[in-house]
Amino acid sequence: MSLTSATTSAPDASTRRAPKQRRSWAWLGVVPFFAFLVIFLIAPALSVFQKALFDSDGNFGVDALKNAFTGQNRAAFVFSVKLSALSAFVGVVVGGLLAYTASTLRRPRWLRTFISSFSGVAANLGGVPLAFAFLALLGRQGLLTRIINDGLGVDIYRSGFALDSTAGFVFVYSYFNIPLMVLITLPAVDGLKDSWREACANLGGTSWTFWRRVGLPVLTPALLGGFLLLFANSFSAFATAAALTTKSTLVPLRIGFYLGGDFSSTGEQQLGYSLAAWMMIIMVVNMGIYYVLRRRSERWQQ
Amino acid sequence: MSASAAGRRRLSNVIVPIATVLVCAVYFVLPLIAMTRFSFQSIPVINLRWSNLTSRWSFDPVVEPFRDEQLRSAMYLSIKLAVATVFATMALLIPTTVWVNLRLPRMRSIIEFLTVLPYVIPPIALVAGIRVVQPHARWFLNSHYSLVPFYVVLALPFTYRALDAGMRALDLKTLVDASRSLGAGWGTTLRRAIIPNLRTSIVSASFLTATVVLGEYTIASVLLKPTLTQELVVFQQSNGQQGTAMSLLLLVATTLLLGVLTIVTRKRGGASVTPV
Repeated sequence: MSLTSATTSAPDASTRRAPKQRRSWAWLGVVPFFAFLVIFLIAPALSVFQKALFDSDGNFGVDALKNAFTGQNRAAFVFSVKLSALSAFVGVVVGGLLAYTASTLRRPRWLRTFISSFSGVAANLGGVPLAFAFLALLGRQGLLTRIINDGLGVDIYRSGFALDSTAGFVFVYSYFNIPLMVLITLPAVDGLKDSWREACANLGGTSWTFWRRVGLPVLTPALLGGFLLLFANSFSAFATAAALTTKSTLVPLRIGFYLGGDFSSTGEQQLGYSLAAWMMIIMVVNMGIYYVLRRRSERWQQ
Repeated sequence: MSASAAGRRRLSNVIVPIATVLVCAVYFVLPLIAMTRFSFQSIPVINLRWSNLTSRWSFDPVVEPFRDEQLRSAMYLSIKLAVATVFATMALLIPTTVWVNLRLPRMRSIIEFLTVLPYVIPPIALVAGIRVVQPHARWFLNSHYSLVPFYVVLALPFTYRALDAGMRALDLKTLVDASRSLGAGWGTTLRRAIIPNLRTSIVSASFLTATVVLGEYTIASVLLKPTLTQELVVFQQSNGQQGTAMSLLLLVATTLLLGVLTIVTRKRGGASVTPV
């Protein structure tokens, strides 16, 4: 008896008191969190835009933002976009296939678990150690470089390969792009129901019909979303690229170049900030579309 | 026609998955093999023959760097930063997520949106912002530990979701009401009722944070902080083999942290190893 009264009276008391509190003071509980984010994330991000839009005399202007697309910076943008698009494409194709394999393969049952666990690990393995692993594999003195040279008689470096070329970066970035693609598309691929395939077959459709009329249309938002996410992932990668090359050929590397040097006399420092501003603009647009697409692809998962 | 089509289909149904898995397996394993060989076998690739494939292997290259004063202090710094970031994350996020789940469920989507922001503002852009405010905050940024709040931010997409998922799996309201009606204050409720129930989430959030901090290079290198990765890149230039061996060690440590994490969270469902 006393137990029931205790359990019923406690929530009662709290609900009676709650409305007053909720209306006035409950939001105070999240103030530390908001303040923290404003100080350590939002304020620095906005100050980049402030630096990019106002020159040292405080005059507003978009010249710096325009200048981000001239000379070497323009080349860096072209290279970054090309490389990110290409490595996103490779990631989507291979990662999509791998996710599909993991989702449909029934025989070795541990394989699916292994693929998804491994993807969880490898998707987060970018950075300095990964760059060193690929230097040991495909550097001038790399193991695979030697194997290809011995096996096929081709010196890949003489035929124009380098780890900091488009092909090289794509090869390295795939190491974290493919697993990320697996992680984000597995739920979508799992959403392809067997009954759809059977329905398609019953109506006289072939495997090709199924993919063209059912499978791919259903997966399109997920695949497009994956492309955007991998693009963003490659476009903003700094650590891996910086450890692979000493040149500043990519947008993140150029930002690092401007931030590291002292350009206060030439005013070039502003260029670094406008590059960073552009990077954030591209990321915001990219991720915005990604979330829209993801909501559409989640429609079929359940 | 239908028989051959079915045969073709069955064949492609077998070949495509097997080929995909094999190609991927080779691609993901080869760099690790090359790295391991380069780290532990002191024979340049040019001189490598079938006959000397098993000779001159040694673990010295991974032991030797620990004697390097600079690298060792970098390692200590990174470990201290990781621990500090874990505690700072918990201090900030546990009360916030409890409060949001309990009293402000309608704010959840705003909070979720905010925690994904660090992905939209990548480290290289964030550190550009830090450079802008640096002249006004030297007293703070001169300390190596000023990296901690920024690392809390970088890990936020992972940590928030790990904690929030754990919190949602609890009947938080009953738990809090029970604890409060037994006379416990908010501090005791957090410490003795909520935190013990969130153990899995807290462990996985901590592991993710540690991985992020130990591997972080962008901010540390631009701000010239002597963290492990930053010093490794410097060290690598003069001593390739030992530098690579140390990177391999870091890679193994990261893999272990993440591997344990994915296994632990698999049972509870909802692993949060993707940033978005």
